[in-house]
Amino acid sequence: MSEPLLPSARAEGEGRVGSTGTLTRLAHDEEVGEETRADHPWLVVVWNDPINLMSYVTYVFQKLFGYSREKATKLMLDVHHKGRAVVASGPRERAELDVARLHRHGLWATLEHPD
Amino acid sequence: MTRRRHLFRPSARGGFDVELREDERALLAALPARLIAALERVGASDAPVPESLRRLLPPAYLTDAAAESAYVRLVRSELVAEHRAALDLLVATAGTTHLRASELESWLLAVNDLRLVLGTSLEVTEDVRELDPDDARYGEWVCYHYLSYLAEEAVEALSGLLPPANPLAGDDLPDDPWGDPPGGLRWDGTPAPGG
Repeated sequence: MSEPLLPSARAEGEGRVGSTGTLTRLAHDEEVGEETRADHPWLVVVWNDPINLMSYVTYVFQKLFGYSREKATKLMLDVHHKGRAVVASGPRERAELDVARLHRHGLWATLEHPD
Repeated sequence: MTRRRHLFRPSARGGFDVELREDERALLAALPARLIAALERVGASDAPVPESLRRLLPPAYLTDAAAESAYVRLVRSELVAEHRAALDLLVATAGTTHLRASELESWLLAVNDLRLVLGTSLEVTEDVRELDPDDARYGEWVCYHYLSYLAEEAVEALSGLLPPANPLAGDDLPDDPWGDPPGGLRWDGTPAPGG
């Protein structure tokens, strides 16, 4: 129970978390061929909300995605001022994992795929 | 000018020294009980979550019901367990004078979960507003702002431990792919205020 479910795998250059746990089974393997096309990545969208602290949101972006403080702050401000922002993108499997990690941190995150 | 009080100070033996008063510790030990019970009722079920927990277990897909139920089936029980684990740890360690960094991370997650539930119940908006001390919700309102202070302190303490940033991370993100009007949209598709 004390092992973090959603470690900052991206910050360490990995696309997936450890070898056990439900979240490692998020692979939509049957769809990977179609979904990983670089020109149509899935988008991880974070939505503005009145409760999460700006400092906290910035910290979560740094922790989960390995962003610099500047990059994380810019994304946080985009969320705050525009209502939403794309904070990560990639194959569906990884984008869904990112959304789950953001949900674990209490952020309002969704997946989108530009058609 | 008085010196600002830091709640979590880097310790000589690693981790953080916790400088809280007894009444603060008692509050942190008591606050999670209702949320823990509510999460227990949700359990591993993939039924719709009660409104009070929606911020802790939000949807991942807004327009694809099949993908959303697949997401809930895969992730729900583990998310519930993770929320609970952090709250349990906060209760168990509320009296401690020293936390490992990983424990302070759990405190932050638990405190933020409590803020989300309290803030939802208080219908917090981005406009700062004072509550009359005679208001029935004044106690909750004070708790909410105390937890905000605690979260700010934990973020500041933990930010010092973040690994070096990847300078290339996020370079490929599309900037506002929706072409929204300034101000953008809210979660439910309505225009954001102040646009």
